[in-house]
Amino acid sequence: MRRPALVLAILAAAVTVSPVRAALRINGSTTVNPVVVDAAAELRAARGGEIQVDTLGGSSGGIAALGDGRADVAMSSRPILESDRERYPGVDFRATAIGSDALALVVSRDVWEGGLRSLTRPQLLALYEGRIRNWRELGGPDRRVVFFNKEPGRGTWEVFAHWAYGDSSEAPLVSLPEVGSNEEARSKVASTRGAISQLSAAWADGERVFALGIELADGSVVRPTPQAVAAGEYPLSRPLFLVTDGEAGRDARELIDFLLGARGREIVERHGYLPASPAVTTPEEAP
Amino acid sequence: MTRWLTWTLSLLTGVVVLGSALLLLLESLPAWRHSGLGFLTGTRWFFRASEFGAAPMVYGTLVVAVLALGLAAPLAFGAALFTAEVLRGRARLAVKGTIELLAGIPSVVYGLLGVLLLRDWIYRLLSPFDPLSGDTLLTGGVLLAVMILPTVTTLADDSLAGVPAGQRRAARGLGLTRAEVAATVVVPQAAPGLVAALLLGLGRALGETIAVFLVVGRRDNQWPEWLLSPKPIAEAGQTLTTKLGGSEVWIAWGDPLHWGAIVGLALLLLSLVVGLTVTGLRLAPPGGRDA
Repeated sequence: MRRPALVLAILAAAVTVSPVRAALRINGSTTVNPVVVDAAAELRAARGGEIQVDTLGGSSGGIAALGDGRADVAMSSRPILESDRERYPGVDFRATAIGSDALALVVSRDVWEGGLRSLTRPQLLALYEGRIRNWRELGGPDRRVVFFNKEPGRGTWEVFAHWAYGDSSEAPLVSLPEVGSNEEARSKVASTRGAISQLSAAWADGERVFALGIELADGSVVRPTPQAVAAGEYPLSRPLFLVTDGEAGRDARELIDFLLGARGREIVERHGYLPASPAVTTPEEAP
Repeated sequence: MTRWLTWTLSLLTGVVVLGSALLLLLESLPAWRHSGLGFLTGTRWFFRASEFGAAPMVYGTLVVAVLALGLAAPLAFGAALFTAEVLRGRARLAVKGTIELLAGIPSVVYGLLGVLLLRDWIYRLLSPFDPLSGDTLLTGGVLLAVMILPTVTTLADDSLAGVPAGQRRAARGLGLTRAEVAATVVVPQAAPGLVAALLLGLGRALGETIAVFLVVGRRDNQWPEWLLSPKPIAEAGQTLTTKLGGSEVWIAWGDPLHWGAIVGLALLLLSLVVGLTVTGLRLAPPGGRDA
C-alpha cells in the first residue's frame, strides 16, 4: 500500500522543489477554504512567497494529502479521527482551531415558503433514511423530498452523521444523490424543488437557500445564528481546523498565527464563521 | 539510430500501458478476492459494510455513453456528409477546423455549461414525469453527446473524404445524383471508418469524468428493475468515472480492500476504453485518419 504513496510523494516533491522558497501547500475543506484564501492573499502581499490553496477531496482529501506529504497544511472541518492516525502512523497530526462554524440544514425556496421552518432530529433521520418522502408529512408543501447528501469524507457529512447517529460508522447505508463542495450543494439545492442538504451555515444566504432551525427535545427552536453557536445552544456546530504534521514550519506558523490574530479573526468573521477564542487547542493536540 | 530510437520509444509506450494495467490488477486483488465475480455482478456498493458491487456503475457508464452516441451519431454523420460531399477546398477546411476546435475545449467548461444550461432544461423537459432533480443520466448523456460530436464528426469526415474521387466521378458518369452517389457509393465504402469514428467517440464518452461528474447526480446503487427500463434515465445515477472522481477515493486510501475495490473500478474502466479504442482503430481505414 505504501508504494503508490511513495511514488506520489516523490512526484510531488519533484514538482514543487523550487530554488528560492518552497511554496506553502494547503489542501482540504471547502468550508475552511475561503478564509485561508483571503489570509493567504494578505500574507502574500505582506511578505511575498507562494501559497497554494486547493480543495481536492474535502477535509479527508486534505488530511490524506498532508499524510502523504503532498501538502504542508490540511484544512479540515472535522477533528482528526482515530482512523486517520491508524492510516498514517508516521504522521504527528497537530490540529489548531481557527474558528467554528454551524452546520445548517438548508432547503430550497419552495419548501421554506411552504411553511417549513424547523426540524426535529427524528424528522431529519426519517428524511435521510427515506421514510418521509413528501414535505406535506412535515407540514410543508406537497412536494417530493430531494435529499442531496454531502459526500462521505466531507467534514460536513462527518459532523452531520456524528450528531444524527452518534458516530459516522453508525449512519445507515443510504444511496442518495451526492454533492461535494459547498458551492455545489448550494447551487443544487437552490435550483431543485423540494431540496434539502447539509451545508455550512455561512453559505446559507437566505436568498437562494434557507437554513432550517433545529427543534430540540424540549420544543424550543434554535436557529444557526452566530449568537446561538457562540452560546453553545445550536447543536450542530463544529470547530474548523488547520492541521500540520508535527510542529508547524515557519510559513505554516505564520499563517496560523495570522488567522488567530486580530486581522485573521476579522476575516473569519467576515465569512460568517465564529473566530476562535485566543490560543484554543484541541483535545487531540494535548500531549 | 532512428530505428533503434523508434523501437525503444514504442517499447516504452507498451511497457507503460501494460505496466499500468498490471499495477491496477495487483492493487485491486484484495477486492477480487473479497467479492470474486460478485464485484462485476453485484448491485450493491456500500463501502462501510464492505459490499462492493460495480454493476450499477458499469450500467450508468454504458447508459450515459450509449445515450451520448445515439444523440451525437445522426448529427455528426449529417455534418460529416455535408463537409465531405458538399463543401470544397478551403470552405471544407474552415468548417472542419472550427468543428475540431470544439474538441479542444476543456471538459470542465462543458461541465459548467451543462450546470448552467442543461440541468434546468432537462429538469423542465422531464417535469411531466416529476423528476427529483435536473441531475440525471439523461443530462450526462446529452452533455457527452455535445462533447463527442466534434470527434465523431471529424473522423467520419476523414473516412468519407478518403473514398477515391474516381469512384464518385464514375458513379456520376452513370447518371446517379449526388445524393445517390453518397448513399450507394461513398457511405458503404467508408462504413468501417464511420464505425471506427463511433467507437472512438464512445471511448471518449466512457472516459470523460469532470463534465459528467457535475450533472449526473452521483447516486449509488441505481439498478433498473428490468434491464431496458427507461426509468433510470430520468433519475440520478453514478458512472465509473464519477465514482473515481469523488471524495470516496480519499477514504479508500490506506484500506487495502476498499482501495482495491476503487482500483478495480479503474481497471474495469481501462478495459472498456482500451477494448473499444483498439476495436475502433482496427476498423479505421489505413491512412484514413490523417487525411
